[in-house]
Amino acid sequence: MTQAVQLASYGSTGQSMGFKNRIINGAMMIDQRNAGAAVTTANSFPVDRFQYQNDSDATLTLQQSSTAPAGFSTSLSVTVSTADASVGATQYSIITQRIEGYNTSDFCWGTASAKTVTLSFWVRSSVTGTFSGVVNNTGSSRSYPFTYTISSANTWEQKSITIAGDTSGTWLSTNGIGLQVRWSFGVGSTYAGSAGSWSGSTFFGATGGTQLISTAGATFYITGVQLEVGSTATSFDYRPYGTELALCQRYFQVYGSIGSTGTQGDVFIATYRNSSTLFMAVQYEVPMRTTPSFTQISVTGAQWSSQTQDVGITSFSLSNTPTPRTAFVSANSSGAFSAGNGLVYTNIGTTTNAFSFSAEL
Amino acid sequence: MYQLIKPMIGTEIQIVKKENGDGTITFIPLNATANTDYQAFKKDIAEGKSLQDADGNVMTAEDAKAYIATLP
Repeated sequence: MTQAVQLASYGSTGQSMGFKNRIINGAMMIDQRNAGAAVTTANSFPVDRFQYQNDSDATLTLQQSSTAPAGFSTSLSVTVSTADASVGATQYSIITQRIEGYNTSDFCWGTASAKTVTLSFWVRSSVTGTFSGVVNNTGSSRSYPFTYTISSANTWEQKSITIAGDTSGTWLSTNGIGLQVRWSFGVGSTYAGSAGSWSGSTFFGATGGTQLISTAGATFYITGVQLEVGSTATSFDYRPYGTELALCQRYFQVYGSIGSTGTQGDVFIATYRNSSTLFMAVQYEVPMRTTPSFTQISVTGAQWSSQTQDVGITSFSLSNTPTPRTAFVSANSSGAFSAGNGLVYTNIGTTTNAFSFSAEL
Repeated sequence: MYQLIKPMIGTEIQIVKKENGDGTITFIPLNATANTDYQAFKKDIAEGKSLQDADGNVMTAEDAKAYIATLP
């Protein structure tokens, strides 16, 4: 089959070859930070690209879940551990995906040519009612609250919201925040607006939406999230796992031994700087969105092996500025290193992450 | 608590360290204007959070705010 015929066949069968779904990790399969463990802290990421934001009196537990509708293997689960029976005017509890401007520039939002888009997702909750969410611009100064109804408790339902593109406001088309999609579990009156239209106010949900956080023990699951150009929700854009992981790694990537015991961890070429410091060359898995920050997570099992010695690493650090493509990381151990070249192994025989780089939006 | 870090190469301070309170430590480049950790650092210092110099001395709130005013 020639390339031309192959391309034509894709078109005739309706297969998508582009980046149809602008949501990354919409099937909730990638969880580099937690490997499925629960998170409860505000501003954490229970799965890649989805951030939990909470400024309420409720405590929520979020994690990757194997509860999923047919065709999906994972979802993001939310459980109300401690309820907030009376959500204050300025309180809110939401999950957010921020989409990079490069990935939404063709929406032409903020211009007269603004395109219509459709948001679709699968959802399930122990609580029925009218739930809400919102689409915001970069600084959340433009808001489009939306609602959707969960009709049957503990039953997967697919929802679709069509949004006429915003012809006003500032919508970045670079490596900053292009737009933000949010799902609300509770929002006070200050941040709740009328559903179905654009507003020049900061909203995190719609007026009158169900306050999930008011019910202790309530559960909520979401997966199959897709945002696409057009007025109709189409089939979910399944991308190869490796592709989805690489898309996530533009914003966050972790090194270590996550998910398996008895391994050598990741391996880095390292060179002697002085008796307390080695320099490790770290070439990221994929280039990052911008200059990343670096976080030491654990040195358990980390080791330097040169021609003459094996020495445990006591800390990792960063003392000079990385680039969006590379970093040199210092591996440290008080006065224990001898001159030479060698390798640094992270987290031998553990399931602990060693360090991460973050360029989140 | 934030602390400025002496560079291993050169003399210009390029990194600030943050103890996260959960055993992890984040190192934030001081020129990373599009990085959310950098943005949070500037906001935290502007709101009065503590900053140590590269020798471990706690800077006064005025000095810390004056320092971040020199950053991009």
